[in-house]
Amino acid sequence: MIEVLSSPFMQKALIAGLLVSLLTGIISAFIVLRKMSFIGAGISHAAFGGVAIGFFTGTNPLIAAIIYSIIIALGIEVTGRRGKISEDVAIGIFYSVSMALGIALVSLSKAYNVDLFGYLFGNILAITDGDILLTVAVSIPVTALMLIFLKEFFLITYDEELARVSGIRVKAMNVLFLVALSVSIVISIRIVGVILVAALLVIPGATARLFAKGLLSMILLSCIVGAVSVIAGLFISYQYDVAPGACIVLTAAVIFFIPLFLKKWS
Amino acid sequence: MSNALEIEHLSVVVKGKELLRNITFTLSEGIFLGIVGPNGGGKTTLVRTILGLLKPASGSIKVFGQSPGAALARGGVFGYLPQHQNIDPNFPATALDVVLMGRYRAAGLLKWPGRNDREKAEQCLSIMGVEELRNRQYSQMSGGQQQRVSIARALASDPRILVLDEPSTGIDVVGQEDFYHLLKGLQKRMNLTILMVSHDIGSVTSYVDEISCLNISLHYHGNPLGALDEKVMTSLYGKSVDLLVHSDVCDKCERLRQQ
Repeated sequence: MIEVLSSPFMQKALIAGLLVSLLTGIISAFIVLRKMSFIGAGISHAAFGGVAIGFFTGTNPLIAAIIYSIIIALGIEVTGRRGKISEDVAIGIFYSVSMALGIALVSLSKAYNVDLFGYLFGNILAITDGDILLTVAVSIPVTALMLIFLKEFFLITYDEELARVSGIRVKAMNVLFLVALSVSIVISIRIVGVILVAALLVIPGATARLFAKGLLSMILLSCIVGAVSVIAGLFISYQYDVAPGACIVLTAAVIFFIPLFLKKWS
Repeated sequence: MSNALEIEHLSVVVKGKELLRNITFTLSEGIFLGIVGPNGGGKTTLVRTILGLLKPASGSIKVFGQSPGAALARGGVFGYLPQHQNIDPNFPATALDVVLMGRYRAAGLLKWPGRNDREKAEQCLSIMGVEELRNRQYSQMSGGQQQRVSIARALASDPRILVLDEPSTGIDVVGQEDFYHLLKGLQKRMNLTILMVSHDIGSVTSYVDEISCLNISLHYHGNPLGALDEKVMTSLYGKSVDLLVHSDVCDKCERLRQQ
C-alpha cells in the first residue's frame, strides 16, 4: 500500500482524482436533481472533439477540450431554448458530430503516438505535471464558484420560475453551471476517460439521493461517494493493471447497488 | 394609500397570439384582488407579466411605482406561488428547508440563512398552521400541506404583494374555505396586497375586496358582487352558466365539517 503511494504517478493521480471527485460530486447532485444526465453524457463525448483539435493544432489537448466543451455546452443550451429542435435532439447531434470530428482529426494528424485508448478510458501513467497544474488551476476556482452560488443553484433546482421571481439571474447561473460541468468533465478525462466520465456525473448524485434528507447533505454524500470511488478505483487499477476509468466506475456502481439491495431486503 | 399596481393599456402577445388585450386597472395597497375567468382567458399570463416573467407588447405596468423588472431586481416585493410547481417528487428538503429558501435573498450573497432567518421561517410556518411539519420531507406531504408550506415560503421573504396562481387546486371544499379565511386573515394582519387567480368565481367573491374578470380583455373590475351580474358572466363564460354563490357560512361546508 505504502509502496503504491510512494510512486509519483500514483500521487499525481490521487491528487487529481480527489480534486475531480470534489467538483463532480457537487455537480452530480444537481445533474441528478435537474435530470441533466443526458447533457452530461453528451458534453463528455463532445470533449473528445476538443482533445483532437488540441492534437491537430499542436495546443494542449485539455485546454482545447475545455474551450471546445464550453462552446458545445452553450450551443446545446441555446439551440434547445431558441430553436425548433428540442434539447435532447441538439445533444444527440452535437455529441456525435464532435466524436466524428475528433476521429477525423486524429486520423488526419497522423499522430500514431496519440494515446487514444488513454483519452477514451483513462490512463494514470499519462498524467503529467502540467495536467496536475491545470487541474488545480481550474478546479479550485470553479468549485469555489459553485459553492459561492450554492443557495442560488438550490433555488433554481427547486423551481426555476420561483428563482427568477426571487431576483436570481437564472440565465447567468445556468451558463455558469454549464461552464462548471464542462470543466469538471475535461479535468476528469485523464483519469476516467471520455467514455466513462458521464458515470462520475450521475452515480455519486444518484447514490446520495437514496439517503440524503436535505440538499447540503446530498452534496456532501455525493462528494464522498465520488472520492471513495476514485481512490478505490485507482488502487484497483494499479493492482490489476486495468484501465482506471473502468475500475472507478465499477467501484461507484458497487457503492450504488449495495445499499439499494440492502434497502430492498431489510 | 399608495397604489400597489397601475396597469395601463396592457397587451401581451406570445408567439404571435394575443393573450391579453388593452387591460387597464389600478389596485390600491392592502387590497385582496381575485382574478377570475375561463381557462385560456389570460389569468396566468397577466400574473406572469406583473411578475416580470413576460414582457408586454404594449402598455405599461407599475408595481409600487416601478417596472416589474426593477421590482424583481430590488427584491422583497413579490411572494409567489406558481400554479404548477414543477418540483421533483423526490426533492430532498424538509418543510423548514423550503421555507428558508424564502430567506435566501435576505441572507445576502455568500451567506447562509442564520438564526434570525430560521426564526422567521418557523414563524411563517406557524402562521400557516403547519409548524409541526417543519422536519417532515416536503415530498411526503399532502397537496394541501405543500400548499401551506409554499405560502409560508412566499411569506418568509417579507413580500409586499402575495401572488397566488390557482392556489386551491388539489384542496377539498372544506379545505378551500378554511384556506380563503386564512388568506383574509393574512391580508389584515400583515397589510398584504394579495392577488389570487381562481377559476372558481362562486367561492372567491365572498372573500376578495375586488375582482377582475378576464377573458383576453378585462370584462369587469371592481366590487366582487358586481361580477355576478348576468351580463358579465355571459361575456366571460358564454350563455350556459349556472351560478352557485357561496356565502361566508356555506351550508355544504358546515355539513362536511361536522362529518
